[in-house]
Amino acid sequence: MNGAAPILETRGLSKRFGGFLANDAIDLSISAGEIRGIIGPNGAGKSTLINLMTGVLQPNSGDVLLAGESLVGRKPHEIARKGLVRSFQVSRIFGNLSLLDNLRAPLLAAVSTRDVRAEGVAKAHRLLERLGLARLADAPAKTLSGGQRVLLQAAAGFMMPSLSCYLLDEPFAGVNPVIKDQLIELIEEESRARGLTFVIVSHEMAVMRRLCRKVTVLIQGRIVAEGSLDEIASRADVIAAYLGRSFA
Amino acid sequence: MWSLELFTQALIAGVVIGVIYALMALGITFIYSIVKMINWSMGEFYMLGSYAQYLIVAYWLGPDLWYVAAILSAATVFFVGWLIEPILIKPMFTGGIERRDDYATVVTIALLLLLRNLATAISGPYQRTPGSNLPGVMLGPLPESGARFAAFLAALAAIALFTFLLKRTWLGLALRATSQSRVGAQTAGVDVLSLDKIAFGIGVGLAGLAGALLAPVFMVYPTDGVVTTTKGFEIIVIGGLGSVPGALIAGVALGVAESLGATFIASAYQNAYGFVLLLLVLALRPSGLFGERLRQA
Amino acid sequence: MHRICRVAAFAAIFLLAGGFGFVPAHAQEPVTIGLVVPLSPPGDPTAGQLIRRGAELALDYYNGKGGVLGGRKLQLSVQDSQGRPEGGVAAYRRVVGEDKAVAVTGFFHSSVNIAANEVAKSMGVPTIGTQTSAADITAKHYEVAFRTHLIDPLRVAAWLEFMQKKGFKRVSMVAETSDYGVGLITETDRQIKEKKLPIELQTLTFDRTSTDLTPQLLQVKAFKPDLLVNVGVGAPMDLMIEQAATLAITPAVPMLVSYDAPIRPQFWQLHPNTGDKLYFIAYYSPKQTLSEIGTWFTKAYEEKYKESPVYSSLNGFGDVAIVAQAVEQAKSTDPKAIIQSLENGKFAFWSSGDVTFPNADGVFWHNFSPPVLILQFQRPGQDWKEAEVAYESGK
Ligand SMILES: Nc1ncnc2c1ncn2[C@@H]1O[C@H](COP(=O)(O)OP(=O)(O)O)[C@@H](O)[C@H]1O
Ligand SMILES: [Mg+2]
Repeated sequence: MNGAAPILETRGLSKRFGGFLANDAIDLSISAGEIRGIIGPNGAGKSTLINLMTGVLQPNSGDVLLAGESLVGRKPHEIARKGLVRSFQVSRIFGNLSLLDNLRAPLLAAVSTRDVRAEGVAKAHRLLERLGLARLADAPAKTLSGGQRVLLQAAAGFMMPSLSCYLLDEPFAGVNPVIKDQLIELIEEESRARGLTFVIVSHEMAVMRRLCRKVTVLIQGRIVAEGSLDEIASRADVIAAYLGRSFA
Repeated sequence: MWSLELFTQALIAGVVIGVIYALMALGITFIYSIVKMINWSMGEFYMLGSYAQYLIVAYWLGPDLWYVAAILSAATVFFVGWLIEPILIKPMFTGGIERRDDYATVVTIALLLLLRNLATAISGPYQRTPGSNLPGVMLGPLPESGARFAAFLAALAAIALFTFLLKRTWLGLALRATSQSRVGAQTAGVDVLSLDKIAFGIGVGLAGLAGALLAPVFMVYPTDGVVTTTKGFEIIVIGGLGSVPGALIAGVALGVAESLGATFIASAYQNAYGFVLLLLVLALRPSGLFGERLRQA
Repeated sequence: MHRICRVAAFAAIFLLAGGFGFVPAHAQEPVTIGLVVPLSPPGDPTAGQLIRRGAELALDYYNGKGGVLGGRKLQLSVQDSQGRPEGGVAAYRRVVGEDKAVAVTGFFHSSVNIAANEVAKSMGVPTIGTQTSAADITAKHYEVAFRTHLIDPLRVAAWLEFMQKKGFKRVSMVAETSDYGVGLITETDRQIKEKKLPIELQTLTFDRTSTDLTPQLLQVKAFKPDLLVNVGVGAPMDLMIEQAATLAITPAVPMLVSYDAPIRPQFWQLHPNTGDKLYFIAYYSPKQTLSEIGTWFTKAYEEKYKESPVYSSLNGFGDVAIVAQAVEQAKSTDPKAIIQSLENGKFAFWSSGDVTFPNADGVFWHNFSPPVLILQFQRPGQDWKEAEVAYESGK
């Protein structure tokens, strides 16, 4: 929308599973500070795209660039340390660890300075407070409800010391409205306060409309549209792909 | 043959050997919880530790510095494990960080045979001992050898230190997080594959420490680690795979069951009482005393 | 015509060559003795090597005197059994089938000997067990099966006589749950009852893989015996020596070890203090009187290896010597004739007195037991050769 240099970029990114092309020459360009939405029907290749960007999967061709630096071939933990952090569609919290330890774990990525870690622990307490989970700080995470787990997983991403770009894979799926609001507020707040960049995969059109000025539509592994939600909502091919799903 | 004195003696003897058993089991359970593999060659790392202790004490430091030797022996075994892991164990993680199930079994059993035959070829089949100058002690009515009592205390200290490492340090946090979710830990920036090396090293190092501490008690020979493997597996099944307090409590329970069973029921079945205990636990709590029923995501 | 000539010529050459080759070879052809010994794990390679040393010196002895059957040299065909029955069977087949051995000896592991005997039964070449103690080796009464090792009933008879002589009345036996350990317990119990001996016997067993014998020994301590018989083999035997001392059972209660392990060089390294005053069964002591060839052997052995021979080597030597004498007495290398002469002849052995293999009852069939000794160390670090002879069977 403006001329700011993209912080996260993919160029011709493709991934093949056997004979099936899950991502087909994806060109994506996300500016610093942007909150980008990615929508698309199930099986469109959204999670695959995130896995390719974060090193969980290796692309068959194409490139991923973070602030101009190629990430292809890097290990997931290296990419995370560089500031490109992700959450999983199925939450990956540490069930037997306390909530506090769940939030401390990302501090391991810090190149080991006492200050960062001490600061981080203070921040972990603030986040728990902010999410209304302070009381449970020392309880094992597996005692949380499904929605609370989603919050905890999202919060853990914000704990990464070098976080610059946060990829959230369907964070709102199956979450009740109260928690949904909490999460949206958290994202908005962190975006404002730290100028973070977000890529959010979601089917929740209301949330998309509220958070994202620009949305990318992925269908059958290909980008078919990009623009504001209202712009793309009028496109017949997108509507067809969603087969009558409400855009309200 | 019942008498209170005999009962007390057998009970104390069981607790002492039980704590030592727990140290043997700790490494197996720890490696499993991080690297997600059963190391069948654990007994052979115990054996390496016992030979290291023998060599260091007999040819260098002498029995009075047994504790220095034990630390050096454990460190040596740690180092061997740290070196071996990327060569032998890492290939089981094909392409990612999740495991290929059968691989570790095959490789560690091959390693077991290799190390055992190597020990026989180099040192011959006979027993050796580093010796000990520690005076005997009385534990209540039970006379106990100084070396065994020292091994008992050192095992307790090692378990405490290990617990501290896990619960109170950043490395411990990385290890605990990785044991919960390898993918999650990686996402949090943990280099899981290099942590595997450290975890494997620590795990076999614990077995090596047990071997070093017990070298003067149970002697040193190429198959001296067999007990570690059998007792270790009984303990982790009883205590629950991946649990440190489980290993300690199961170790003591096993030691006491064996000691009392062998003293008051029939001594020939000394090794069977542990299995009875094991079957009992499996019947009542299939995941072990401290085991997770289902691994939490 | 032409062709027939050629065939005839070939035949003639073949016969001539074969004939020339064959006739003198018969006079010179060496006589082969099979030696099936454990030379690699899971067998006991040390035992195998020691037996082999003895067997080789027997060859030196007889070949030095011009061989057997008027000038035929003896030679060994040595095969590794690995201590495994299948290994033993394969080794027996090879020495008999390929190397045409006239008799096979050297056996150390009972299971190997038993398995080989089953094949020997059909192949017909006799075996002599060198250090195998299981009853079945001779109790099956096979024509081909012979043995020169101390068998359990005699070992038990020996220590019961020793207990009588020393006045031991309360005896604890702690034995491993192997054929060896349980067999000795049963036999001791049986002979005490049969001979109505005034001995109260406490018997305890342990699994071979146990390293902690504290539960057994606590019961021994509570029984307050005046002798503790240690029926462990290998590591458990050593562990029992240590753990009995820890529990202050020994030295107040003396200990008898059921076989000759304390003569091994590492014994005092393992038990610098706890080995003192230990009794142990032994099959040989330099203080014992030997036969003529036994005396020759110990001298030759000491010259060659710079140490005293042990029982394994002595028996390895003795068994090959028996085969040599049997061939000589049979005047033939035919296995049947050799079996005949083994059954009927008298043979010099390393110990004093002649060896015979009578068709006796039960386990005593084709069996010769060398004398049994019980030795006792007099001080820590004592050379076993100086250990006091506390008992000698037949004296
Ligand atoms: N590891 C894999 N192996 C084979 N096929 C896969 C794998 N991961 C995803 N797929 C397939 O790729 C397609 C896209 O999957 P995904 O990226 O998870 O879709 P989305 O997240 O958009 O619902 C699906 O058809 C899925 O079955
Ligand atoms: Mg998805």
